[in-house]
Amino acid sequence: MASDSDATDDWAAAMQKAQADLLRQWSEIGQAAMRAGAAPATPPAAAATGAPAEALARQFMQQCEQYLGVSRSLWDLLTRAAAVVDPEQRARVFTEGVGTLQQQFAQLWAAGSLGTSGAAGLAGWPGAGVFGAGLPGMGGYPGVGGIPGMSGFPGMGGVFGAPALGPAREQQESFQRLAQLGMRCAQAQMQVGAQWNDIIGKALRELGERLGPRLRSGATPASMKEVYELWVDSAENVYAQAARAGAFVQAQAELTNATSLLRSAQRELLEEWSRQFDLPTRSELNSIHQQLRELKAALAGTRG
Amino acid sequence: MAGTQSPAGVLEELAEIPLKFAATLRSLQAAADVNYGYSEKDAVYREDKLTLYRYRPIAESAGLPPVLIVYALVNRPYMMDLQRDRSLIRRLLELGVDVYLIDWGYADGADRYTDLNDYINGYLHRCLDVVLRKHQIPSTTLLGVCQGGTFSLCYAALHPERVHNLVTMVTPVDFKTPDNLLSRWAQSIDVDALVAAHGVVPGDVLNAAYVSLLPFRLLQQKYVNLLDAGSDQAQMDNFMRMEKWIFDSPAQAGAAFAQFTRWFFQENRLLKGTLEIGGRKVDLKNISQPVLNIYGKQDHLVPPSASTALEALVGTMDYLALGLDVGHIGMYVSGRSQRELPKAITHWLTRRKS
Repeated sequence: MASDSDATDDWAAAMQKAQADLLRQWSEIGQAAMRAGAAPATPPAAAATGAPAEALARQFMQQCEQYLGVSRSLWDLLTRAAAVVDPEQRARVFTEGVGTLQQQFAQLWAAGSLGTSGAAGLAGWPGAGVFGAGLPGMGGYPGVGGIPGMSGFPGMGGVFGAPALGPAREQQESFQRLAQLGMRCAQAQMQVGAQWNDIIGKALRELGERLGPRLRSGATPASMKEVYELWVDSAENVYAQAARAGAFVQAQAELTNATSLLRSAQRELLEEWSRQFDLPTRSELNSIHQQLRELKAALAGTRG
Repeated sequence: MAGTQSPAGVLEELAEIPLKFAATLRSLQAAADVNYGYSEKDAVYREDKLTLYRYRPIAESAGLPPVLIVYALVNRPYMMDLQRDRSLIRRLLELGVDVYLIDWGYADGADRYTDLNDYINGYLHRCLDVVLRKHQIPSTTLLGVCQGGTFSLCYAALHPERVHNLVTMVTPVDFKTPDNLLSRWAQSIDVDALVAAHGVVPGDVLNAAYVSLLPFRLLQQKYVNLLDAGSDQAQMDNFMRMEKWIFDSPAQAGAAFAQFTRWFFQENRLLKGTLEIGGRKVDLKNISQPVLNIYGKQDHLVPPSASTALEALVGTMDYLALGLDVGHIGMYVSGRSQRELPKAITHWLTRRKS
């Protein structure tokens, strides 16, 4: 264990430089792999989309950067705590220190493992419309203002709250509904985000409680990986409790349900657009499938 | 566990990471086109997206009724025959069992209205027709896996005369046990809105739910742990096969998904005895044939209590619950499962041969 602050500063500085070098090397390796990779690959996110090897490299690199980010923060804190001579004070420095990491970890978690936009939950999971997924089409509400012949209706821009009247009545109502559902989704996503923030905070506190006694006794984890694994254990333990709680369940369900309704409303608007161009729609296809089912059943009936 | 915090040690650890990363990346890329599905098989029946396979025998017949494996809709059935040393099907073939398997295929937009009656009284029934006709027997053994086990229970209750023995594997029966996190989440989902939004529900939606059960481990730690596998190509190939399987998830036919979520997860109708399929009541007391119920003691997807509830519901006096100390995935591929499970199934079937 480092015993004087100069030595600690020296090796901490060296460690940070090494990490900077490391990230640069990762980046170069990743880019080289992306340039070279042509074989199909199936990383977690890429598997469903059939993305090529570069996606695999990127995904793996993200996970490793996340690992390094988490480990580095915890290790920095451990190092600061270890420099304190008094065992009680040492444990307290660490326990109090983990509390300050909550926001940073929540952001790392959202950005690293879960993809996009800073929202907790499974933001960015490809194609997932539920469990905190990426709210398809939220950015820009497809159809709003983008449908030929729609954006030109007088006063469409600022009438989301006004009663729908006149020739564009139906379209205005559609837009109003989209706007309301968009707001509902955004609120639901904030609620889920708050739940995740709380989980991360509690997980850090649990980590502090696990490591505190060891720091008091002068024993510290032997490696960054060990600290990281303790963090994952703590986080899963807290999550297992939180994910069963009513608040979390309701927040997730509300996000899922609001996202489903928004998606349906978006499709209705797109179908309206398609009808203007005499293009086939999903609803028409569904109608045909229904008829086919009835025909097959009738045919089976005649065969006995 | 406790160690000494060493600057040099940490620097060394850090310095190793780029090397491990590069080695792991190379191995991952080499494993990217890894194949899966080992044993030879023939398609003996096709209908819509479904294919019924019969595996080619590799050993002298044990003289048992053929086993029809009814897999779940939510994943691909090649998990049962992933690779030579991880194949429950191969082990069964080695023991002289005649194995058939239903591959439901990939549902698409045409399956929006395909419902549970279509799957259970339609596709499954006609697959069994093929097997019974081919072997000229009145009944045979169903081996239902996970959701396929639930389907097999429904089928055996509705058509008991066509099922000689019933084996269920990691099969949910009580969908509302306190330890079932997936079920807890499903209670407040507006499944009609979900199906209306998607038509057929993408596999990614289900995957998002599954990895959410253990998000820090399944979305993060398992990939970080790859750094330690590094240049072990065999290990990386195994990892990639599993990864492929986990995320190779068919979309779910809309009507069937809505029914399964509402009737099973939200209303627990199978347990309550209020389930109807195709207008007929599913009464598990009708199952009077021998039942072997296999569950994973560490299963986080289908907790043991969700499976073992079956004992009190079936009508048979010949019921055996077999718990293995494995998880849901481990039931298919773990070494313990490979060693113990096929022998246990074959032994159980042999004792009921008469």
